[in-house]
Parts: sequence; C-alpha cells; structure tokens
Amino acid sequence: MPTPAVPDSPPTKRPKADSKHQAKQFLDRHKPLTGSYLRLAIAMHLGSGALLIAQAWILAHVVNAFVFEGADRATLTPWMLPLLGLFALRALLSWAGEQTAFRAAAGVKRHLRDRVYRHIQAIGPQWMSGQRSGALAEDLTKGIEALEAYFARYLPAMAITMLLPLAILVVVAPLDWLSSLVMALTAPLIPIFMILIGTRVEAINQQQWKSLARMGAHFLDVIQGLTTLKLFNASRREARVIAEISEDYRRRTMEVLRVAFLSSAVLEFFSTLGIAIIAVFIGFRLYQLDLPLPEAMAPPEISFLNGFFILLLAPEFFLPLRNLGTHYHGRLEAIAAAERLAEILATPLPERPMIGAASAASSGQCLASDSPLAIRFEDVHFAYEAGRPALAGANFVMNPGERVALVGPSGAGKTTIANLLLGFGQPDAGRILIDDLALADLDLNDWRRRLAWLPQRPRLFQGSVLDNIRLGAPEASLEDSIAAARRAQAAEFIDQLPEGYHTRVGEQGVGLSGGQIQRIALARAFLRDARLVILDEATASLDPANEALVQAGIDALARDRGMLIIAHRLATVRQADCILVLVGGRIAEQGTHDELLAQCGHYARMAQGTLDSLPHPSNASGATS
Amino acid sequence: MKELLRLWQLFKPYRHWIGAGYLIAFITLLANVTLLAISGWFITAMAVAGVGGVAMNYFTPATLIRASAVARTGGRYLERLVSHEATLRQLSGLRLWFYSHLEPLAPARLQEFHSGDLLSRIRADIDALDNFYVRVLIPVLVAISATLGFFVFTAVYDLRLALSLLLLLLLAGVALPTASRHLGRTPGRQLVETEAQLRQTVIDGTQGLSELLVFGAADTHARRLDALSAELIDAQDRMSRLAGLAQGGVGLCANLALWLAIWLGLPLLQQGTLAPPQLAMLALLALASFEAVAPLPLAFQQLESTLTAARRLFEIVDTTPAAPEPTGPARHPQHFDLSVRELHFRYPQAERDALSDFSFELPAGKRLAIVGPTGSGKTTLFSLLLRFWLPDSGRIELGGVPLNELQGEELRRHLALMSQHTHLFNTSIRDNLRLAAPEASEATLQDACRTAQIHDFIAALPEGYDTWVGETGVRLSGGQARRIAIARALLKDAPILLLDEPTEGLDGPTEQALMQAIDQIMIGRSTLLITHRPIALARMDEILVLDQGRIAERGSHQELLNGSLYPRLLGFNADTPE
Repeated sequence: MPTPAVPDSPPTKRPKADSKHQAKQFLDRHKPLTGSYLRLAIAMHLGSGALLIAQAWILAHVVNAFVFEGADRATLTPWMLPLLGLFALRALLSWAGEQTAFRAAAGVKRHLRDRVYRHIQAIGPQWMSGQRSGALAEDLTKGIEALEAYFARYLPAMAITMLLPLAILVVVAPLDWLSSLVMALTAPLIPIFMILIGTRVEAINQQQWKSLARMGAHFLDVIQGLTTLKLFNASRREARVIAEISEDYRRRTMEVLRVAFLSSAVLEFFSTLGIAIIAVFIGFRLYQLDLPLPEAMAPPEISFLNGFFILLLAPEFFLPLRNLGTHYHGRLEAIAAAERLAEILATPLPERPMIGAASAASSGQCLASDSPLAIRFEDVHFAYEAGRPALAGANFVMNPGERVALVGPSGAGKTTIANLLLGFGQPDAGRILIDDLALADLDLNDWRRRLAWLPQRPRLFQGSVLDNIRLGAPEASLEDSIAAARRAQAAEFIDQLPEGYHTRVGEQGVGLSGGQIQRIALARAFLRDARLVILDEATASLDPANEALVQAGIDALARDRGMLIIAHRLATVRQADCILVLVGGRIAEQGTHDELLAQCGHYARMAQGTLDSLPHPSNASGATS
Repeated sequence: MKELLRLWQLFKPYRHWIGAGYLIAFITLLANVTLLAISGWFITAMAVAGVGGVAMNYFTPATLIRASAVARTGGRYLERLVSHEATLRQLSGLRLWFYSHLEPLAPARLQEFHSGDLLSRIRADIDALDNFYVRVLIPVLVAISATLGFFVFTAVYDLRLALSLLLLLLLAGVALPTASRHLGRTPGRQLVETEAQLRQTVIDGTQGLSELLVFGAADTHARRLDALSAELIDAQDRMSRLAGLAQGGVGLCANLALWLAIWLGLPLLQQGTLAPPQLAMLALLALASFEAVAPLPLAFQQLESTLTAARRLFEIVDTTPAAPEPTGPARHPQHFDLSVRELHFRYPQAERDALSDFSFELPAGKRLAIVGPTGSGKTTLFSLLLRFWLPDSGRIELGGVPLNELQGEELRRHLALMSQHTHLFNTSIRDNLRLAAPEASEATLQDACRTAQIHDFIAALPEGYDTWVGETGVRLSGGQARRIAIARALLKDAPILLLDEPTEGLDGPTEQALMQAIDQIMIGRSTLLITHRPIALARMDEILVLDQGRIAERGSHQELLNGSLYPRLLGFNADTPE
C-alpha cells in the first residue's frame, strides 16, 4: 500500500459519546446470557471470602497462642487441623470459581459471534463493499474474545468489591472502631480516583482498538495483494508501512497502558497507605505509645489477638478494590469491542434482509413451483451512493425461457441489474416484477432457489473441490457432482488434481487458473436446478476452444431456462433472443443482433470494434452454434 | 525445546530490555515479601515489648516497611511499563521479521495458504509470542532467583523449615507448571488453530457473501462459523478448568507453607532457638513467597499456544522461496534481449511438465504472442519470466544475464505485467496508481489513465482520483478496476511488457481504444502478449502456439493461419464440439 493514510472505514457520523453509551447498554443487555453462571461465580467468590475471614481468625488465634501462651503442638492441634480443611475448601472454590466465570462469558461470546455474523449476512454484500473483511475478522475473533474480560472478570469483581470489603468492615468494626474508620475513609478514594483516570483511558482505548482493527485490515489487504506489490517492486516499501503501522499500534497501546498502569499504581498506593496506617495504629497501641490523635478520639485498647486478626484482614479488604483496577482495564477493552459490535448490529437491515430463517426474508410470497419466470423492470432507479446513479429508469421485459444479453460500456449498470435480480438491493424507485409479482414482496430464499449465478470473479471456499461444487446443493451425490463438473468441462482437470474431487482448495484455489476456477463455479451452477441463470462475463479468460466447450455447457444449461448474460463476446450476444444495450443506467436500445445493427446506434458502434477483429465473422459464430 | 531456543534467538536483540524487566520485577517481588514479613515481625515484637514493658527500636523496621511499600508500588508500575514497552517493541520487530520472510514466498509458495490464515499468523500468532516474554521468560528468571533467596534466608533460622518451604515452592513452581504444560498441550494447540480457522471462515463468509446468499449456503456457512466458535469455546473451557486447578493449587501450596512453618516452628519456640516474632515473620514470609511462583502454572499451561503460534510462524519463515534470491554480486542487464532456451518446468506434485523443451528469442523492441488452450502453460511462462518460479532446467536470460543470477527486484524493474488478476488495494485510486510510481506527478498519473481509457470516468467521480476503491476494488465495476490496473502498469514505464489478455472482458469500443493505446506503448518496447484476439495477433512479429507445455507451432499470423491448431484456437473452422 502506497501510504498508510487510509480512512479506517467509510465515514460514520455517529457522535462518540452516544456510541459509547450504546456500547455500555449493549453489554448490559447481554448480561442475561450469562445465565446462572455469573451469580454462581459471585457466590463462590463470596464463599471464599467468608472462609478467608475464618482462616484469618484461626491464624490470629494460633499466633497469639504461641507468642503469649507458650502453646505447643498438642494444645494447638484443635486449631491447626481445621485450618487444613479450610485451605482445601478454598482451593476447591478457587478452582470452581474460575470455570464458572469462564462459562458465564462463554454463552455470551458464542451467541454474539453467531448473531453478529448473521446480521452481516442479512445486511448483505452491498454494505460489505464498504467494509474491510480484515477488520471484521478482528471484530469477530479478538473483539468477541475481549467481551470475556467484562463478563468473566469485571462483573464478578464488581460484585465482590461491593460485598467483601463490607463484610470485612462488619467483622472489624466491633473489634476496633479505629481500624474500621481508617478502612471506611480510605476505601472510597480508590474508586473515585479510578473513575477520574478511567474517563481518559476510555477515549484512548477506543483509538487503540481502531488501530488494532486497522492493522488487521491492512495486513489482509497486503497479504492478498502481495504479488501485485512484488510486481511493482513495492514490497520493500510496504515493509516500511508495516513498521509504521506496528509502531503506531505500539504507541497507542502504550498510551492506554501507561494510564492504566498509573491508575493501578495509584490504587496500590492508597491501599498500601491504608494498610500502613492500620498497622501503625495497632502497633503503637500494642507498644503503649500515644497515637497522634485528638483527645476526643481516644483510641480504644486493643489485644494482640484482635490486632493481628485485623492486620491479616487489612490486605484482603483492599485486594478486591485493587483487582478492580485491573479488571477495569479489561472492561474498557470490552467496551471498545462492544462499540464496534453494536455498530454492526445497529446497521439497519435493508428493507428486505438478505437472509434469515425466521425473519422477514422468508416471510414473503413464494412463487408457484412451475412459475415460468417472466421478468419485468419498470422504471428502475438505483444508486449505490447518493449522486452516483447506477440505474436511471431501466425498463425491459424478459420473457420466460428467453436468453437476454446485457451489453454496454463498463459502469453502465449491467452488474447492477444482476445485483438487483439477485436480491442484493432494492430499487430506489420503480419496481421489478417476476411473473407479475413484485420482487420486493417475494420470499428471497425461495426466489434465489430458482437462480444460478456465475459471477465475474467466482470465489472458492475453504474445503474440497467437491464441497465447492456442492455449495448450492449440499445433499447432491458424488455422481451428480461429477456429472455437473463434466458438463462444465471441469472434470478433466479435476481428475488430474492430486486428490481429485477431494483436493482441498483455498480462497483463490490451489494452483488453479482463473479459467479452472470459473469452470468449478460453472459446475456449481449446473448442479443447481435453477430456472434462471445469471452469467456475468462468464466466458472471459477462456481460450476460444475452451470457451466453445464451456459455451456448449452453458447452452445445455440454458435449455428450457431463462438466461441473463452480461456479455462482451459477440458469440454469446449474437445468439441472444434479445440484446439490451445499457448506456448510463438506461436501456438505450433493444432487439436482436440484426435489428440492432440495422439501427446504426450504440450497439452498431460497439459491435464495430469486435466485428473488425474477426476476419471471418461467419466462421466465428459457427464455432459456438 | 527447539522452538524455545529459536524463540530465545528472536528475543535476543532485546536482551537489555529483558534484563531491565527482570531486575525491576525481582526488586518489586522482594519488596512485597519483605513488607509482609517485616510487618508480621514488627507487630509481634511491638506487642511482646509492650506487654513486657521493654524498650525497642521501632524506627528501623518502620523505615524498612515504608521503603518496601514505596518500592513495591513504584516497582510494579515501572515493571509493567518496561515489560509492555519491551514486548510491543519486540512484536513490532517480529512482524517486520515475519513479513520479510513472507514476501519472498509470494506468490508461488503462498498459494496453499488462505489469506485469513496468513492474517492470523502475522496478527494473532505474533501477538501470542509476547506470552513467552511477559509470562514465561521473566517470571521464570524471577522465580528461580527469588526461590533461592527465600530458601537461604529461611535456612539461616532453621534448615528444616527452609527445606519444607523449598519443597512446596518446587511443587507450585515446577510440578504444577509441568503438569499444566502437559495437560494444556492439546487444548492449547486447538486454541490457536481453531482461532485461525475462525478467521478464515469469517473472511470467506464476508468476501464471498454474495455467492453464499445466491447459492443458499449462507445459513450453512453461519452454522459452520458457530460450530468453530463452539469448538474454540470448548478448548478455552478446558484451558480454564486447568487454570482453575493451577490457581487453586498454588494457593493451597502457599497456605500449606504457612501452616508447615508454624507447625515446624512450634517446637523451636519451646527450645528457644526461635523467638515468637521471628516465627511470625517466617510464617508470613512463607505465605508471601508464593507470589514468586504463582504466575508459572498458567504461563506453562499457555506455553503450548505460544509454541504453536511460534511453529506456525517458523513454518512460513522456514519455507524456501520458489525462486531464492541469488547470492552473488548484483548484476544489471545492459540491454533487454530476452532469450529462453530448452526450458523445462513442472509444478511440485504435478504429474506432467507445465512447460517442456521451450525455447524462443525476443530481441529488444520485438513483439511475440503466445496462443494456447487454457492450461497449456502460458501463465506458467509469465511466472517463470517474473522469477516467481525457477525452471527445472534450461535457462532464461535477460540482456545476457541468466535470470537466476538476477535479483528479483532488478528483474521486475524491467517488466510490466498487465493481466486480469491484479489486485487493487483498499485505498484511493491515486494511491493505487502511485504504487507503480511513487514520485509521479499528477499529470503523469492522468496521462496513464487517459491511455488506459479510464481518466474520463475517474474525472467524473465526485471525489475524482481520491475515490476509495474498496476492498479488492469492489466499489468499481470489473472493467473499471481492470483499466485502473492497466494504468498502473503503464506508469511503471518498463522496457518489457507482459500482457496477459489485457483487454479480456472489456466492451468493444473500450477494448479497441485500449488496444490502440497499447499499440503506441509497444513502440520501442519488447512485448510478450498472451491473447487469442486475431486483431492483436496480426501485428505481432512472431506467434508461439502452445499445447500441453510445448511449442506446437510457431510463425507469423498469416503463416499459422494455414496450420491446424492455431485457427482452431482462434475459433476459426472449428468442429463444433458437443
């Protein structure tokens, strides 16, 4: 990438504070998904806290006994043995508590990952074109994982912070009001400071998350374009950009961490100070020294037993507060991640969601099973973004079983027509009718079941060649798949692959050429018994001999079916029952090849170039008929 | 073990940071333990003195307590700061290190990797290595030195007491981590691998969303994602169970150490070898000393994840490029005659040669076309010319310099490729163009775009050359993206053009205009053109007809028209296949 000065995403104009508030609400809303695990985890922590108080009490007793009563093992055994039991119980609770906390978050994570991804599916490919898959991959992996810190750590810690210090205070108060006063006075300072520092962290934390997502998106782009970078000898330059981005990430992360660590240090300082004051007050009184306190606050006498007991409890009093500082950082990360997730989930679904078993997508009308599929575009307007109309009043009719070719300069709206038919968008104005039913009212799943589509750049998914052929018909048998491959002229090269149909292919296909990928995609279309086939420059990148073979396959596919072809090849255009010439988002001309040539309009001019290039036009058409 | 050593090698340049991190961590730990132990002693001694009415110096211990409190607070802050700064610097360096090894592998060796998987490696796997430094390296060093220190200090008072402490410390610091490491091995590896798979599935599911929707496979894909999510959570669950075990175990050991200190100390009190305040101190020291080993079980449990991540990185780093850079002195071709002699090439694991006995000469400024059915080796030839692969035998020379003695960058400086499959980056049109010529002026950029028949389109866009093209150029139509890629290749201004069906898929007038432009550009340059467009072929000096990796026919357009394969390939006189 030439420069790192790339916007993080298409500009979103959401006020910052608002989205943060939404993120917090978002986290709150998902609390019920933790089920009883969250409550259980808190209960276990509290149980462990209660045992801790008991343990401190026994210990204080033991120390008191050996310091002042000269106790030996025999006298102390009744105290020492229960202590072992307490240890075991606390270990058990600690073990169980950890798991319970994890499970509290597990439910949320799994639910959200599924929901966010399905929402992305429902928003559809149009929205995706403004997104970065690398960043989305970060959101759905690391982003979801970041929620664990909130549900498994922060929430239980928060509950403990409220309850455990309070319990200790209740125990200490009757024994020594002075110590409990110190506790009560220092403790609130901790959350106050934390919040003061926390607000600042929140802002930079969000930036850090963006920087992380940007890093992910950038790396994916670089990896996918590495060959191109290499061709332009730009791959070393890219190394500098990667260094810059990594450095930027380091700086932002450190910015967050410095503040986070500072807040921990402040917490640490206050808790240490609190413990020290308590210790000094106890120590002085035990040594019969005067405390630097006013007359009115005459300090109570204290026994060594109580003093030592309180001293053991003091660190435990401050511990949850200190831990809260650590978990607070995790909470901020979760908020930053939640903000992104909430933003995705808040992206409104198109009027007709792309998919959704239970949602509106499948609630529309279903076509009759033998519907002939007559298609009519009535004054269809469409723009991907305001001010850039892709279709400006497209009108045409496609009769059942007809073969219609769309031609026109690139950017004239050919792909847009296909996209609208595939249900990837809704006309801004005008309507599309299928057998006199508005496409907008049809059940999308049912409608798409009648379609086969061969896009410009077909994608192979992780899995075997067979999986890829069966993409649209997972239940198809191996025989059917092979038959489809044969018709798509793909069987021969698939047989030569190391493991035949079971060879694993990646996104771009292991060592497969563009033509081979296209033929696998064609086999995919064959296997689907569709009523309407939409082909997008399907024969590009094949040599004429192969193209002829594939064309023969396509002809077979088109038999008894409607076919809409985004065409550039004279051969495909010539055979069309109707040619639609698209110029500037409108149908400028339509008719058969000969009719259009006779009109001497756009088509005639366009065909000129192609015709000139064929010394023997009559033979050329013969090749594919 | 081998991986650990290699990891250490990677971290070596940062050893000063590591040293500093260790020192601060060690001092912080000592301060913390001292604080607790001295406090215990102090209170007890004060009480004993108070009851007995004896005078004691309480200033020195009070100072010590204050000092260790300050050291603890400050130390912890510094330690975190230093260790994270060091880690992030290392990760930054590691990413660059990984990229520098990844880059030479493209494209030949990377075909078998999913880009999502590679993304996981450069992002998550490198991040996972910080675990090694922050949680393994420094804590182990601290634990070893601190354990020794605590043992010696306690041994000064009583050896048996010290030995019992040592035993428990070893239990928590060696036995537990070893067990955790052993038990965490499988889930740890699963964790890394499942997460990588999850990333791939997300990328497949977002970039391939249209196809999933149309083919009704979206729900299946969502379910696959959910299943992976469940698998990941399952591995995490097992790890969390282990973590709980280790956490409980360390706590138990610490408590037992306290208990044992008292139990073993009681007779010593009776004998008078130990004073009560000393026992209080030793007991609290025993309890606190476990802070030194507490992080180890978890660290070793996660070690497998770290090592798996390291292995995944090493796997890429250790892959030899398909065309390693030459080691000899840099050579520069003096002219641009291209000569290919008796070339043989077979892809790894392929059953037959992709190219065999392949020879041709392309003197500077001449035009050569290559025609052949799909899979006949045309693209392979370009890959060899671009030095993405090296031939098995035979030689390719540019200006008399064999290609395997030429640096890849030096070679590619002289070649410009226009093909159907160039990548547009997710940035502005201008930045995509600048890739080829970072210094080019605006006017140069626009000229190239005019030649590529795309300037008018760009100029009409609201944001013109600043228009953002979207991921892999999705915001442009196929033809627009292609022409921007062609403009980019033009900007490179190289003496040799490699054209791989440059006009394929463009509409008639555009194709014609573009071909005319390319015609102009070809003047004074050597051209290798893959095509089956007769109009272009008629203008070439020589045409090679490829079939199954061999040159089946060669000659001029007119000569070849009388041959057998050539006319068929161009779609003339073909028997209708059915």
